[in-house]
Amino acid sequence: MRIWSLLCCLVMILAVSVAHAADKDTLVVSVPSDIHTLDPGVSSDNYDWRQIYPCYDRLVKYKVENGKGSTEVEPMAAESWTVSPDGLVWTFKIKKGIAFDDGTPLDAEAVRYSLDRTLAIGKGPADNIGAIASMKVVDPQTLEVTLKNPYGPFLQTLATDGASIVNPKVAAKATGDDKAQAWLAEHVDGSGPFKVTEWTRGQSCVLEAKPNYWGGAPKIKKVIIRFMPESADRRMALEKGDVDIAENILIDQLPALEKNPDIVVNRFPAQMTEYVYVNCQNKKLADPRVRQALSYAVDYKGIIDQVLQGNGMQMRGPIPQGMWGHREDVFQYSQDAAKAKELLKAAGAENLELTLIYSERRATWEQIAQVMQANLADIGVKLKLELMSNPTLRDKIDKGDFELCLGAWSPDFADPYMFMNFWFDSKNAGLPGNRSFYKNDKVDELVRKAAGLSDVAERKKLYSEAQDIIMKDAPYIFLYQIQTIVPMRKDVKGYVFNPMLESMYNFEAISKN
Amino acid sequence: MRILAYTFRRLLAAIPVLLGVSVLAFLISHAIPGDPARLIVGPKASREAVEAIRKEHGLDRPLPVQYLHFLGGLVQGDLGQSIRNHRPVTEDLADYFPATLELTLASLMLCLTVGIPLGILAAVRRNRFADHAARVVSVIGVSTPVFWLGLMLLLLFYRHLSWLPGSGRLDVTSAPPAGMTGLYVVDALFAGDWALLREALSHLILPAFCLSYVYLAIITRIVRSSMIAVLGQDYITTARANGLSAARVVVKHAFKNSLIPTVTIVGLSLGELLGGAILTETIFAWPGMGKYVVDSVNSLDFPAIMGFTLVASTAYVAINLGVDVLYAFLNPRIRY
Repeated sequence: MRIWSLLCCLVMILAVSVAHAADKDTLVVSVPSDIHTLDPGVSSDNYDWRQIYPCYDRLVKYKVENGKGSTEVEPMAAESWTVSPDGLVWTFKIKKGIAFDDGTPLDAEAVRYSLDRTLAIGKGPADNIGAIASMKVVDPQTLEVTLKNPYGPFLQTLATDGASIVNPKVAAKATGDDKAQAWLAEHVDGSGPFKVTEWTRGQSCVLEAKPNYWGGAPKIKKVIIRFMPESADRRMALEKGDVDIAENILIDQLPALEKNPDIVVNRFPAQMTEYVYVNCQNKKLADPRVRQALSYAVDYKGIIDQVLQGNGMQMRGPIPQGMWGHREDVFQYSQDAAKAKELLKAAGAENLELTLIYSERRATWEQIAQVMQANLADIGVKLKLELMSNPTLRDKIDKGDFELCLGAWSPDFADPYMFMNFWFDSKNAGLPGNRSFYKNDKVDELVRKAAGLSDVAERKKLYSEAQDIIMKDAPYIFLYQIQTIVPMRKDVKGYVFNPMLESMYNFEAISKN
Repeated sequence: MRILAYTFRRLLAAIPVLLGVSVLAFLISHAIPGDPARLIVGPKASREAVEAIRKEHGLDRPLPVQYLHFLGGLVQGDLGQSIRNHRPVTEDLADYFPATLELTLASLMLCLTVGIPLGILAAVRRNRFADHAARVVSVIGVSTPVFWLGLMLLLLFYRHLSWLPGSGRLDVTSAPPAGMTGLYVVDALFAGDWALLREALSHLILPAFCLSYVYLAIITRIVRSSMIAVLGQDYITTARANGLSAARVVVKHAFKNSLIPTVTIVGLSLGELLGGAILTETIFAWPGMGKYVVDSVNSLDFPAIMGFTLVASTAYVAINLGVDVLYAFLNPRIRY
């Protein structure tokens, strides 16, 4: 047994009072996974954006009103802008006195270079700002942007991560024609309030505040993002005070956290929705009455109360609450087995057998699938469940090789376009957005027309009309809008949640006391 | 000299094995339905963007061409570029592999320094307290799920006692030691940075213990049973009859001869430890290859999957080779 006592001794010797990393000047955030790249022109991943976003300025930013994030934009690096009557030419005036770390001014040329770079790279972020046809630097403080067609959400897209303004001097760091992608993948060169000073893969990423930031010095000096894959770990570290904020804590661990007096569990209505794609091209599901029946079969309330333990709310139409265009009065299905059976009978689709596919991407999906299985059994539909890996699932969705499929969606910018045009325009069929392969000529016409207008009232009307048709056609089973849950230590102040910046923080305004 | 020639022959034989592994891994990873190009550009991207990426990464070419391209790079030590983070896979492996290796080696040391003495003790004191204790340790080891054990260790030593840190290889505020190996303990030792060494060691204890526990249990049982078999042999009785001390009999005569099965199991364990670190790495936020590989598979990052498979199989082949050579050394009667 000597070995054991030796081992115990060793443990004792090494036993250090675990350093409470977090002093007042340092904010520690624990998150589930490592980041891939720091290049704003490449990444379309919210977890990457968490680091990138605070390091750059953009022309516009999301407004904060009374400590609450809004989906409207206001000037950031842009001072003001005007738009031509036909909605095609946007002229931006850029603020004076903003500079990158090396003294290069943030001017019209820097903005042109950055947007151009994102477009030329042609990855995910380019799609968001893809309305741009050409740009012209009129003078150092004026940039003229011409669009391909009038595009309602244009201003919104300039607040996305892909519209980050990069120091044009990075061009010198390019290898070959990579537009400095290799360099910007691991470094940042922006004029934002923070810069990434260290990134140890798999471990942590360190952001340091810039005391001379033009918008005012951040309150915190340093932010450390720690990568901890296991929810239980993040929770323990939060409870011990080793980290200040813990992301993605599993729902069943929340009640215990809420009992801890040092911790606040904040809940915010997110713009993220979860829904079931009903493949309209599938023979069994082509009749709208069958799809309506499925929508009537589901126990929405049960799923939200039991599976989500209250952390969500039922959707009403495709546009979530908090986004303009959302309609509280739009028709919404609720569980009604008798009606569902009637519809199936009318459609001659009794003894239906269907398969629901899903992945492990979200911890709740397994349970939701089981609830749906029971719900459909109630109306005489036999539901087979098939769990598969995420890449396989995506492949099947893209090819339309499925009947029912569980999915999630969050918008990249704050405009109903992200829902109405992505989900229902038949030219986006498959993974790009219309995942139920829905095709309705009237809806196509309405959403396309709405996208080309900049008059909000007019667009609202068109989207509203489309929503009524869609709810009747039931191409999706609209489940719920989720809540973002952000547990943090009580001494963290100034955090503002913005539904458009899922996983991105307003580090510049956060402090600890 | 015969051992050298033998080693060389075995090394040559490893080449077709690794080639075979690479072909199989290549075929299997490409057989998974899914489109890596789509994963690069993001799910909402348009079809044109996806096509462009497919071209850029050569994913539109026929499989044999893609494989030959991969092989061509491999010969020059180039494993291609990761699809997810656009970085050379060799750089990723250089970042993640040392962490896994350090954890694995530490676990192996624990297995050997605890498992072997415990096994010997159990054999020598058969059916007495030490034997029963060792049996309990083993049974718990083989029957405890790693995940549960890890969480319990964390709860006890990190959450409640605050004796040991709960995650990562170093404290959040510390920077890794400069050094060649990437094994923090070794690098800190060479740099003479005692504070950092202590930090690295204290971070290593819980995950290493968690990872080693199952194999520790197995090794204890194997050592025990082979010791018992050897202790019953005639030459041991002869040695005893000749008046050799009990300790000398056990250590000098019995132990060496009982080592052969142990070497086998240790070799196998090392391979398993390398591959089996995934769960442990997840629980302890250990920045090793485990999480990297799982993420690679989830996003169909072919170059990364291939790189990992090749490194892991090379390590496995090397371990097997080591075990065989050690056999020959331990028992010259073994023919090769």
